[in-house]
Amino acid sequence: MSTSLVQTEALAPVATTRKPLVRIAAAMGLLTLAIFAITGPLLLPDPAAQDLSRYLEPPTLAEPLGRDDYGRSVLSRLAHATRLSLLLAAACVATALVLGTAAGIAAAWAGGWVDAVLRAISEAFVAVPALLVVLLVSALASGGLWALYLGLALAQWVEYFRVVRARSALVLGSPAVEAAGLLRLGGAHVVRRHLWPDLRPLLTTLASLGMVTSILAMSTLGFVKVGLQPPRAELGLMITESFPYYDVAPWMSLAPVGVLFLLTVCFLGLRSTKETR
Amino acid sequence: MSRHLAAAHDLVVPRAVVRHGTTTLVDVADLRIDAGHALTIVGESGSGKSVLAHALMGTLPPELVAEGTLEVGSLRFDLADRGGRRHLWGRRMALLPQEPALALDPTMRVRHQVAEGAAVWKPRAASALRLADERLDHLGLAGARSAYPHTLSGGMAQRVAYAAATIGGAQLLIVDEPSKGLDGDAVDRLAGLLAAHVEAGGLLLTITHDLRLARRLGGQVLVMRDAVVLERGPADQVLSTPVHPYTARLLAAEPSRWRFPWMTTPEPSGEEAPLVAAHSISKAYGDAPLFDDLSMEIRAGERWAITGPSGAGKTTLGNALLRLTSVDRGTVAHGPTAHGGRLQKLYQDPALSFPARVPLGVGLRDVMRRHDVDEARLGSLLATVGLPRDVLRRRPDQVSGGELQRIAIVRAMLPRPALVFADEATSRLDLVTQQMTVDTLMSEVVASGCALLLVTHDRGLAASLTSRAVSLNGGGEAEIVTTAAQPAMPGSSR
Repeated sequence: MSTSLVQTEALAPVATTRKPLVRIAAAMGLLTLAIFAITGPLLLPDPAAQDLSRYLEPPTLAEPLGRDDYGRSVLSRLAHATRLSLLLAAACVATALVLGTAAGIAAAWAGGWVDAVLRAISEAFVAVPALLVVLLVSALASGGLWALYLGLALAQWVEYFRVVRARSALVLGSPAVEAAGLLRLGGAHVVRRHLWPDLRPLLTTLASLGMVTSILAMSTLGFVKVGLQPPRAELGLMITESFPYYDVAPWMSLAPVGVLFLLTVCFLGLRSTKETR
Repeated sequence: MSRHLAAAHDLVVPRAVVRHGTTTLVDVADLRIDAGHALTIVGESGSGKSVLAHALMGTLPPELVAEGTLEVGSLRFDLADRGGRRHLWGRRMALLPQEPALALDPTMRVRHQVAEGAAVWKPRAASALRLADERLDHLGLAGARSAYPHTLSGGMAQRVAYAAATIGGAQLLIVDEPSKGLDGDAVDRLAGLLAAHVEAGGLLLTITHDLRLARRLGGQVLVMRDAVVLERGPADQVLSTPVHPYTARLLAAEPSRWRFPWMTTPEPSGEEAPLVAAHSISKAYGDAPLFDDLSMEIRAGERWAITGPSGAGKTTLGNALLRLTSVDRGTVAHGPTAHGGRLQKLYQDPALSFPARVPLGVGLRDVMRRHDVDEARLGSLLATVGLPRDVLRRRPDQVSGGELQRIAIVRAMLPRPALVFADEATSRLDLVTQQMTVDTLMSEVVASGCALLLVTHDRGLAASLTSRAVSLNGGGEAEIVTTAAQPAMPGSSR
């Protein structure tokens, strides 16, 4: 009611294109980590190359993060682990997002039995804890990269499905979509002009949270040794492996923990803080 | 209304100024409300009348700056001090807000909501509830005591809001656009309540663009435009023999006084196949029938109105004729010329009928591409509705309601429709904007020879625009009234 009190036109603030500092900092942080993850494996030595004579060597200028218990370069392993985490998380999120969004829109659009079936499947997934889904799939395929990818994607699509379905039902029931139907503008117009602009801010937020969830889930599984198997460089595995040496070689455990921390903070900082209408 | 604390005092505002940044929204001097005489402020939206009401009440949004004083008897208040009048709210001054359906708490039963405003209210105390029941019974709402607001009609919600606003015994009642979205009978009922408040010695300030309500309340009338008062005087004088040209324009904007060339253009009386043919259709919500065994045919160029009280199923009938809603029984057939986007609809709230986050021009381009409309046609339509091309770069929430409705008309006209269904399309607009919008719509409708289906609760508007009507009585009965041979003559409405 108060909207009509003052003409919005007179009071609408000038649209600000300046993004908050936090988001810029988060984007810069992520960019740095991504560059490290892409160029690191190309420039640095083989992460699996052992040199037992350089067992637990402390950091030096040539080897800024020292060497681990097999004499492997920690920096090189870290670069490989970061690349793996980012790529696998991105693949999982992309799969879950596409699958969940498509299913959500289909359920809201078609309604009826399509909606009922998709909802039943999604509820079955909700009933099982996400980590358990990943564990089940990993157990079936014993520690492969594919199993982890499939498990994480399956655990996450439900979230996108539910949010997209609820929001799409609202948008598809609006007079705007009814008007588009009367104008015979077709499904592509409805998706492109009505659904997508409305869903995009929700999906970016969900996706950045999903990246964090995937990365943490992956390292959690690595940490409890059900995820990827050694000698692959993985952040969670690296933390477990470095545990016995935390007092003599703290750089070994601090490095992967630091990267995990940075990734989490940067992805959380990337979310749009702007109020979505 | 008989529980006023002290003898009635007049309210005097020597000067009131409200600013937003460097823009002056209100600059009014010598405002005076006498006990026993209503004061009504009329004007188009954006004239500052609602801002003035909120400045007096002390409920302005924080970004607006108010200056001036308010005197009630021996008490003086500084308008800049928002908190100073807070203790008067409910007991001495009350505001009946716009759109009561939104002002009521949807999760609370009516009587509990009303009881909260009583002076004797305590949690779980019966005395306030008794008082609330008494007020509701008095307003003819005995049956709605324990109803939730969403089950009430617009008129009933308005009366509940009235009960909640006045139960504290406030002497000064400020009413903001009370007739918005109400049908004629509901407005009459509300006007009776407001008049009773005045007769009991209360102070009444009404903000409205409904001139009929202003006439009905009598007393003094202020005409506002662009933050200032243009004309003031007794209602019967200002609203019949205006001095200021703007007031005259405002009066001429009432549908019953319209004189437009399209009003006398006869409808084509060809014997073509009907565009829309409904054959004995019925529809009911639960046990309440909306229409039963109704048959009608709309032919090219005909102008139809669907009238009736709010909640009678006018919009549902219109939607059923466009096959947007299913009917329980009967069939609706569309003629060959009605296919492929040739049936268009205008909505009550145009802001909801455009994709919210997309610039207006982008949506219109999609329509043009789909229906092979060239740029020149868009340009000429925009020129007809009097909008600059720049407006298309904005998003729907960045244009005013009147402008947006005119863009909706442009969008509906782009595919050269055979029928336009206007669903209360102008009921949220003020009189001047309504006149302009209807004029652009009807000029287009008549020029392109397309049929019109108008849903409205404003009988004057229906009579000015259409010559055939389906009248729903709210109880499932429908009556088809045709004054076809003779299009409605100007001034002959109601």
